[in-house]
Order: sequence, then C-alpha cells, then structure tokens
Amino acid sequence: MTSRDKVQRALRHEAGPVPVDFGSTGLTGLHVSGIAALRAHYGLPDHPVKVSEPYQMLGEVEADLAHALGSDCVGANGRGTMFGFPAEGWHEWRAPWGQVVLVPAGFRPREDASGDVYLFPGGDSTVAPSGHLPAGGYFFDALVRQEPIDEDHLNPADNCEEFTLLDPADIAHWQREFARVRGETRAVVSGIGGTGFGDIALVPATFLKHPKGIRDVSEWYISLLERPDYVHRVFTYQCDIALKNLATFAALAGDTVDVLMICGTDFGTQHSQFCSVATFDALYAPYYRQINDWIHRHTPWKTFKHSCGAIRPLIDRFIDVGFDILNPVQCSATGMDPARLKADFGDRLVFWGGGVDTQHTLPFGTPAEVRTQVTERLRTFSPGGGFVFNTIHNIQARTPVANIVAMVDAVRDFNGTPA
Amino acid sequence: MAELTELTTAVATGQRAATLRLTQELLAAGHTPSSLVERALVPGMAIVGEQFKRNEIFVPEMLIAARAMKEALKILEPLLIAAGIKPKYTVIIGTVQGDLHDIGKNLISMMWRGAGFAVVDLGTNVSAERYLAAALEHQARLIGLSALLTTTMPAMKETVRVLKAAGVPHLRVVVGGAPITQQFADEIGADGYAADAGSAVELAHRLLAPAA
Repeated sequence: MTSRDKVQRALRHEAGPVPVDFGSTGLTGLHVSGIAALRAHYGLPDHPVKVSEPYQMLGEVEADLAHALGSDCVGANGRGTMFGFPAEGWHEWRAPWGQVVLVPAGFRPREDASGDVYLFPGGDSTVAPSGHLPAGGYFFDALVRQEPIDEDHLNPADNCEEFTLLDPADIAHWQREFARVRGETRAVVSGIGGTGFGDIALVPATFLKHPKGIRDVSEWYISLLERPDYVHRVFTYQCDIALKNLATFAALAGDTVDVLMICGTDFGTQHSQFCSVATFDALYAPYYRQINDWIHRHTPWKTFKHSCGAIRPLIDRFIDVGFDILNPVQCSATGMDPARLKADFGDRLVFWGGGVDTQHTLPFGTPAEVRTQVTERLRTFSPGGGFVFNTIHNIQARTPVANIVAMVDAVRDFNGTPA
Repeated sequence: MAELTELTTAVATGQRAATLRLTQELLAAGHTPSSLVERALVPGMAIVGEQFKRNEIFVPEMLIAARAMKEALKILEPLLIAAGIKPKYTVIIGTVQGDLHDIGKNLISMMWRGAGFAVVDLGTNVSAERYLAAALEHQARLIGLSALLTTTMPAMKETVRVLKAAGVPHLRVVVGGAPITQQFADEIGADGYAADAGSAVELAHRLLAPAA
C-alpha cells in the first residue's frame, strides 16, 4: 500500500493504517528551526533549510525528512508568498536565533538596532513594511496599514485587489509543480489561494504595497455586523475569480491532486467563536458552498477547511457547505473533546489534525507525556478511517526535538510499521 | 426624557449614534458625568461581558459595544477631569515581549475601561521593565499580561518574575491569552488568570477589592 493509498483510504472513511502529514501545507508544517533539529537528529545531510513559508517561518520538509517522519503527504505549492514576492531565487539569511536558512530573492529584510526585523511587500523597501518579526520572536506578524475609513465612500473593489486570475507565470509554475509531484507515491495536497473567505491573516494584505479598503483586523470584524453588504460584494467578486481559477487549475492538475486546501479562516477562539452561527450562515456559507460544489462536481478532490479554536457549534455547518476535511481539530479548545468529535462527526468529516496539543503537551510536556497523548488520540480518531495524523497546527519554534521524535515513534508503533 | 437604561442598552448593543445622542441628552437633563459612567456605561459593558461569557455575543458585537462606549467617554472624560474626578483604580495592560498579538488584549482593555478603571495600554511586545516602569509611574494596582504564542509564554513567566521581584506593595499581576491556563498562571506565580474578557473584569474587581 502506498502512502497515497493510505490517505485515500482514510479519506473514504475506511479502516487501515493511520496516514500522516508533516509539511504538505502552511498549516500542517514545522518551524524552520525544528526542521534543522530533526534533520540533525535523523542524521540527514546538513544544509540550510529552505523557508517554505516566510510569514510563519515554516521550513521545507524534504523527501528524506518526510520519509524519516513517516509523512504520507506532499504539497504542491503556489508560486507566491505572504509577502507578495515569489518563492524562488534562493539565498542564505541568518535568522535572529542564529540559524542560517534559505529565503527567496524578494526576502530583503531591514533589521534595526534593537533586533527587530521588517519585511516589505514584494521585497520593495521603498514602501512601508508589512511584516514585523520582533526581537526574540520566531516569525513575522502583519503590520496593519489602514488608511482612514470614509464610510460614505467605501468601495468593495478596494478589498478585491488581491483576487486575480491565474496569469501565464502562475500557469507555468503549476505545470512545473505538477510535473514534480506527478508519479509521487504520496498523497498530493495543494491550494490555489483566493478560496478562503475573510481569512483574518490575509485581511491586512502583507503582499500588497498599498492596501486599500478595510485592512484593520478589528474593523474587519466590525464589518461583519455593520457592513455586511460590503463584505458580500467582496466575497461575491472573490468567489467569481476563484471559480474561474479552479477551472484553470483543474485542467492543469487533473487527478494529480488528492486534497485541496480551501480556507484558513479561523472561526474559533480558545473558548468561543469569532462569529455567530447566524453570521456564518448569512455571510460565509453561500460562498463556501459554491466552491465546494464546483470541486465535487468537476474533480475527485477532497476539500480541506482549517479553523482553529472552539468551533464545535459550526462543524455541522462546515459539513453542510461541503467541506470534507477539518483541520487542525484543536482539542484543547472549549467543546472540542476528541471522543465527542469523533462520535458526533466522524462518519461525515475527516479529521486532519488533533494528534497532539501544540499549545501545551508537545512544547512543554515530557516525551512520555507526548507519547501517551498521541497514542490516546490515535485510538480515538482512527477507528473506521477518517483521520490523518497531524499536530494541532504547525509545530512551533522551541519545541524539544525529543518530543517531536516521541510523537513520530508513537504513530509508527501504533501503525505497527518498522522504524 | 431619555432614561439611563436607554444609554445602558445603547452601549450594550453597540449603537454608536444613539450612545452619543443619549449621553448629550442625559447631561443636558442634569445627570452628572460620573453618574452616567457608573449607572449607564459600566452596567452596559457588564451586560456585554456576561453575554460574551455565555457565548450569546461574539468578538464583533463586543467591538461595536466598546466603540459605542468610547464615543460616550470622549464626551464624559474631559468633564470628569475638569471636575477633578479620577477613576478609583489604574490598571496596566500589554502583550508580553516578542508577541505582537493584541485582539484579546484589546478586548480586556475595553472591558476594564468599561468597568470604570483607568487603563494604561502599553500595546504589544512589552518588556518586563516597561510594565514595571508604567506601574510605578501610574501607581497602578493591577497589571494584565497577554500572550498568544507558546513561544512567548517564557516571556510571560520572566515578566511575572521581574514584577514580583520588584516587591511593589499592593501590585497584582494577572495573565491571559489562548495558551494560558490557570495551572500555568499558578506555576509562574501570577495572582490570577482569566479565560475571557468578562471574567477579566470579575478577576480585577476581586483582586482590587479593599479586603484583598
């Protein structure tokens, strides 16, 4: 059975060995420092790790490390980055924590005397920076650039600048990317961007040089209540572009892709939701349904929805609008008990995550505690398939490598596969 | 004639224009600025905190309520200052060093302001030394530390250590944020933990009560 077979079986809710994902998306990966530590642990060639996602400073899980970790998935990734420069033209950069990493050509940071690091949209340092890595930090956060809001002259088109049709350079990139992963024995996870609605990480538009419209985080949340027509018009435009791009992408991808990452919009906080179920129904559901319906009518792909937090009241809604897969299954949040989730939704939804708590157990527990929790989660989520093992969101910096290895070993032992 | 309860409702439901109009009408009708704060704004924001705790409202509703409250305070605060009336307590809030996240911290800040405290918001990426300096400068009784990241939880621990080591009498330190738990708060020696913005108001009242 290939890795891809394992994943496909789990996606069909059939019992079998539990497939694993480390690093196929920007939501299921590892901080670049953890990648280096794991490469050293497993005795893999020592070279600067490529930063696959510069915003969260995630590192590339190369095939040799994927094999060591037992990962069954590989990403087919888009051309762009969160900072608008393409992920190409690599050069070395010494990160503030001392690690030499490979970053794209457009990654030209400005570092100030206090140790803070700033990144610029499109790599253009003549405009205001859009990313800030504070001294002592391990990844970037968005710098909000909000022009004064004139309620009488708000134009939804201003919040649509980022939604564009795939251009010839994008198409050429995808052709190369699919050539790279075609014939893979691992499951291919991809994503085209622009299919997630109202993702708060994307609202500040770190990739745009002069973002217009509603770009402040609080103002965006306020817009859900006070400017619903504006939000609808943004989502309508975005959905129209996304559907056209999906058709282009599907023609290029064919059956190479197994899973499409649709949306990273977080609907949960640690203890509650970011909006009511009624707001979800009115504002988001119509657009998610269009995207999922198109994919299910035209492709064999399964659709992947990411949302952190206490989202139990919304899970039925996610299923209803056509999502097949839920990530990261934040079991530490209120109402997200693993056994209850499996019992209530396990026959209708694939859990891609939930494998271990990255807020507490993985970074701060002992290897024995990690092993215990991982084994419990495997026992809870794996019966009848419908489970792809992954940590709850990306593995953060400063996570002890012994804990990551304990997790990997626990999965391997559970599956009964030799190291 | 406008009633205080109308202003309470206007704040709790985030009606900015109505809050502004009612504040002006109630002042014109002879209500004092401090009575509007204590008998209308504070109860309005208490309703918001309770509803948020019960998952009846969510972040957007809370944000618009806080914005309405701020509209009223824009009118009332200059009048309170002119009359020499100061909030009973000053509290300091900020996100710990290395962490730039502020949605949760801002919600607590709004709720504390809505509870009638003077709030000094130091923003994000705040060092232990800055918290301490602000507490001394403003003679604060309470400091709230926020962290979203597991990677900045050690900074929270260090901040609590520095603040406790300073030995400022009557100064309490409370913590919160997505990965923070009561257990972690206890481990690092914080005086309290709140899981949400509504609970943070109760926690502050409990710690600042004269018997405390």
